[in-house]
Amino acid sequence: MLTASHSGAAGDRKRSRAGGPIRRFLHKEGVAGYLFVAPWIIGFILFYCYPLLDTIYNSFTEYKLFGEPQWIGLQNYQNLLHDSVFVQTCLHMVLYVSLATLIYIVGGMVLALLLNRTFPGNHFFRVVFYLPSLMVGVAIGSMFVQVFNAGDFGLLNEVIGIFHIATINWLNNYDQPIVGLYALILVTFWFMGGTMLIFLAGLKGISATYYEAARIDGAGAWQRFRYVTLPLLTPVILFNTIMTLIGHLQTFDVALIFAGGGSGSVGSITSVLGYRNSLSVFLTYLYQEAFIYHNYGYGSAIAIVIFLITLVLTGVVLLLFQRFTYYDR
Amino acid sequence: MLSKQRKSSQTSIEIRSPYLGQMRSGDSKRDTRLYQQGRIYKRLSLLITYVVLSIGAFIILLPFAWLISASLKTTTQYYASPIQWIPNPVVWSNYVEAFAVYGFARYVGNSVFLAVYAMVVNTLVSSLVAFGFARFRFPGRGVWFVLMLSTLMLPAQVLTIPLYVTFKTFGWIDTFLPIMVPQLFGSAFNVFLFRQFFMDLPRELDEAARIDGCSNLRIWWNIILPQSKPVIIVVAIFTFLSSWRDAWNPLIYLSSQSNRTIPLGLLYFTNGYTAVYPQMMAATVVALAVPVVLYAIGQRYIDRGVAIAEVR
Repeated sequence: MLTASHSGAAGDRKRSRAGGPIRRFLHKEGVAGYLFVAPWIIGFILFYCYPLLDTIYNSFTEYKLFGEPQWIGLQNYQNLLHDSVFVQTCLHMVLYVSLATLIYIVGGMVLALLLNRTFPGNHFFRVVFYLPSLMVGVAIGSMFVQVFNAGDFGLLNEVIGIFHIATINWLNNYDQPIVGLYALILVTFWFMGGTMLIFLAGLKGISATYYEAARIDGAGAWQRFRYVTLPLLTPVILFNTIMTLIGHLQTFDVALIFAGGGSGSVGSITSVLGYRNSLSVFLTYLYQEAFIYHNYGYGSAIAIVIFLITLVLTGVVLLLFQRFTYYDR
Repeated sequence: MLSKQRKSSQTSIEIRSPYLGQMRSGDSKRDTRLYQQGRIYKRLSLLITYVVLSIGAFIILLPFAWLISASLKTTTQYYASPIQWIPNPVVWSNYVEAFAVYGFARYVGNSVFLAVYAMVVNTLVSSLVAFGFARFRFPGRGVWFVLMLSTLMLPAQVLTIPLYVTFKTFGWIDTFLPIMVPQLFGSAFNVFLFRQFFMDLPRELDEAARIDGCSNLRIWWNIILPQSKPVIIVVAIFTFLSSWRDAWNPLIYLSSQSNRTIPLGLLYFTNGYTAVYPQMMAATVVALAVPVVLYAIGQRYIDRGVAIAEVR
């Protein structure tokens, strides 16, 4: 080592000055490692393990705002199964999560493929597509409430009007409340930028030699995509799918704003779940039960169910796609 | 980084291929025809790309354009149909009103405070933790790391109920403490990003410093951190944005009006009687502008950060 020779004396001096037994102990590799990692471990125990265990316990109790939790066994879960609002929420989530994830993955991939070449303006397009995914959910939500506004002055209705389709009442539709959910799904088109960026990074990681070999063998563009790009992208697709799935199970901001009919009315009269519960998602339902009705026991049961669904879904996706994933090592 | 990248793999191949290379005098008619077809094909695909992307960009930008135009209208103009794109007169006072009358200045201040705090504290602690994971072997390291990654899967909102009850007994509700204290312990995502980066840094510098008698903490501060500027910027920006956008935690823990952050301010934006849309749109523009500015500043590093985080 370059520095070893001239610092020998200095090192000896330092070590003899400050090399007490405590310091040596603290610098043993195992101890030092734990010391550095300790803040996170403490945080994990305080803010993860304890609340998780407590929530699990609470889900078996009857626990309202005032008073102590009282054990009632599985009754919360039974009520949950018969809760029509919850069942409706689950259906909403199935529809929303599957469609939104599909849009994200397919759309992100298409955009990444389009933007993979260098051409003038490439940079501009990347920024335009990526920027919305960085923005404040609530702000985007309130913006889109106006876009989806019923009546003639909502932006989307204006655009449809150009095609001579009748205006649609998106968020408070009396006949078909489910349209609110469609609005929510439409909004996901704006946020594809995140997955696009990750796919771009993945595309760059594919070595050019594969494409050369494919071209020499006479593969056309579609064949190159199907036999070179797609298989080599499968780890990235898997990662993206799982992250997107988890993210969508946790939608909250935009659903909340849409449900309130726009800013300024949350917390007053309108329900947090939307017109006739059409916009309920897992987290808004949890919020309503636990923090508006102060039904902590029931809310805890909902929370546990959400957690289990997330776990199961992630596990299923992982196992299903394990077989199809090629790892380029 | 985005625009200065070297030519992509496809372009470099095409240059060597007889389809698009220089025409030489010995070429047969077939070669010439193929060459010209290749050029047309390439131009066509570029054109289609432009068209598709432009349509997409237009769709994406349309609501934002509408938003900016709406924020500068009067309330009556707002409801006009068909939509007037250029407001006349331009009502700049909407912005002033949003800040002064509706207390938005206060909300921005709160958001900025919490976000900067989160950015600084969380980044520091996460890099410390990641240093431990990256450079030290200790028993159970693998287990803790996997546990840490698994926390990414769990929606933190699920754990809120007991935390809320605990904080209530502490009397911390309606203060910033429930939001600020967890930042002291780092976040799994940040630790993950840092660790991946640290593992790529050469160990020789560490070892040289250690021979010179550097304590571990010194190594972290003086050796590792200065080399980690890209990752620090990425993590800092992401942490800031994540705190800026957070609506769930402020919604649960903050109740009084003066403590609200921007998301809450937007949620409750009203003058007490009706919804005042133009001013609300002005506030929305402000809320959306901050991430844009931050992105402009740190954009090179964000793209690099995404590359670090992707699955190897």
